[in-house]
Amino acid sequence: MKTLLAIREREYEWVQQAFPSIHPLLLPICNKPFTEFLIDFAILAGSTEIRLLSDGPLGKVEDYCEDGSRWGIKLSYGHLQAEDSLPELLNKSRKFCTDDRIMIISGFSFIHYDKQLGYANFMSLMPAGTCASCPGGNITLAGPPETSAQELPALPLTLMPLNQIESYFRISMETLETGAARYVLPGYGNEPGCAIGRNVVISKSSEIIKPVSIGNNVQILSGAVIGPGAIIGNNVIVDKESTVKSGIILDNTYIGEHLEINGRIATGNTLIDPARGASIAMEDPHLLSGIRSADKRGSAIRKTVHLLAAAILVALQLIPFLLLFPLLKLLGRWKSGMAICHGAGHGKSFTLPTTLITGNGPLASLASSLSLDRLPLLLRIFTGQLAIIGSTPVPVTLETVVLPGEHQGYRPAVFSYAEAEEWPVNDSDAAIVERYFIVHSTPLKDISMTLKALLNRL
Amino acid sequence: MNFRLDSSRGFTIGIAELTGRLDAQNSKELQKTFVSWLQKTRCLVLDCSAVDFIDSSGLGAIVGCLRKTLEAAGELKLAGLNAKVAMVFELTQAERLFSIFTNAGEAAASFAAAPDSQK
Amino acid sequence: MNISETQAGSITIVAITGTLDASTTKELLKSPAISNPAQSVVMDLEHLDFLDSSGLGALIGTLRKKRERSAETLISCMNDRVRRVFEITNAHRIFHIFDDTAAAVDYATQLTARI
Repeated sequence: MKTLLAIREREYEWVQQAFPSIHPLLLPICNKPFTEFLIDFAILAGSTEIRLLSDGPLGKVEDYCEDGSRWGIKLSYGHLQAEDSLPELLNKSRKFCTDDRIMIISGFSFIHYDKQLGYANFMSLMPAGTCASCPGGNITLAGPPETSAQELPALPLTLMPLNQIESYFRISMETLETGAARYVLPGYGNEPGCAIGRNVVISKSSEIIKPVSIGNNVQILSGAVIGPGAIIGNNVIVDKESTVKSGIILDNTYIGEHLEINGRIATGNTLIDPARGASIAMEDPHLLSGIRSADKRGSAIRKTVHLLAAAILVALQLIPFLLLFPLLKLLGRWKSGMAICHGAGHGKSFTLPTTLITGNGPLASLASSLSLDRLPLLLRIFTGQLAIIGSTPVPVTLETVVLPGEHQGYRPAVFSYAEAEEWPVNDSDAAIVERYFIVHSTPLKDISMTLKALLNRL
Repeated sequence: MNFRLDSSRGFTIGIAELTGRLDAQNSKELQKTFVSWLQKTRCLVLDCSAVDFIDSSGLGAIVGCLRKTLEAAGELKLAGLNAKVAMVFELTQAERLFSIFTNAGEAAASFAAAPDSQK
Repeated sequence: MNISETQAGSITIVAITGTLDASTTKELLKSPAISNPAQSVVMDLEHLDFLDSSGLGALIGTLRKKRERSAETLISCMNDRVRRVFEITNAHRIFHIFDDTAAAVDYATQLTARI
């Protein structure tokens, strides 16, 4: 058997409005893209070849699903016109439809099925015609049954329209609750109702209450309460003491401290009430904000910009340093040492020079205001160990052996974003502003932040 | 910001209508003006039905107003939060600090049930 | 580029082999089935290796001209590369696209019979 998936753009228009950064056909339901549920079902129903037809762009779907070899099937893509009837669809894919039996799943709707049941037999026995439908969607069989009718098994198979944010929320929650018993869901977990992805850091003092689904690259910080009924996407940070229950946090979202998300959808800096459809974009980045996924090209540009800035700074500091350093050293005001600090990657560490200029004399204060104590650190930018601006390097001590496990938001640097922003020099607060900017800053902004940090010391 | 005093219930209730955006630009002004309202009466209602946006500094200002009211042994109620403003209150758990009513009339009526505040 | 025209009933199948770009579109537009605006055609793109914006422009121009005279321009058998060009440019929204030339011919025959 083969399957045609026919989804028209007008059926998923609402998704583009509600979540502009997500391709509607990849809309995650319980952390699994919508199209994958259809593919799973088509395979369960005995398909070896699937074709996805749409009048909208399929590029992103193709990038994600590729040729279907991941599922051991052949997946191809085609086009339709919004007003095409079923015979027209079959005609447009005539070469594809060589098998006697074709299953056509049309509409942007969610299929309730049970992965443990034998749909293949069911689908080959059913007479031609519609075998399940809902407003805006149906599953139809074309061609004669593969074997002549025996007793038809009764199998649960219903469709639910995915036509607005409310139904999306409801279907997501239902899928989370029915869980891996009925659907193939992503994530690991040794008990039902709790699926956790790769590279997830969960603070010891946080609480996870089933059912939950957590994606990849997620940080749950101390005191956070996740669940029951929480779906956390990929690249999400839930900051300290925040609660997420009966809620969906979509990919690339930062949830600030002491917040409560209950019965809501958060995506980037937008909070949506699924029941009323109301949404609000937070302008405060410390409440909700989007996390841009760092692309490699961007980080190369950033590194180059940082190197150039460091070279200019070293050149500027060199003469004052040569004049002041011997004097301060003689007076015993320049104290230098070494400290082992955490590196940017997980479990990495390196030694860094530490410098302390003591005393209140004119020479010492001049040296500090010119940030001469940072010169030895500046040289570490050329070795690639430090960035010019980022996080304050965290020394490796007994308490911080595991820290910073949150290495994604950690970029050891000569100057810290916290210094530039003059945040209260309280370690945990500083780490927040640093984490925030590490995700949000651009190379150009880095330079202006570095200047700010320098000026703050004058 | 329009402020009026309502004495129809035998004691004075101050009802302030906030409008537009409540953000860093006008949150300080609200806190300053609020002190003068608090001198007139200790039963206050902030009618937010015409507020269409609130950010954290606006929220901070309202929480500041509440603190001042409590220090003066008064009562502050909120009324008419639209869906978006209500979501900010809910998200930040600020809704737990306030008594919130659907409109200013209901908020004003609720004072009668708590005559303690009229000392 | 190589163009071959085959008659299938009232419909002409225009098979294009090779590259359709600025240098070859003129030749396509001069071919008899394309230049006759009343002739419904099925463009068989199975062996079209490359399509650029001017080639796409020629296909769309043909479609518009023929639609004025109630004739159709259908597309069949695109390869993946050409399909992506159609998709990126949104050209797939205005053409009827088939994976089989015979199916496209049937469809075009039906359409022209209706008129």
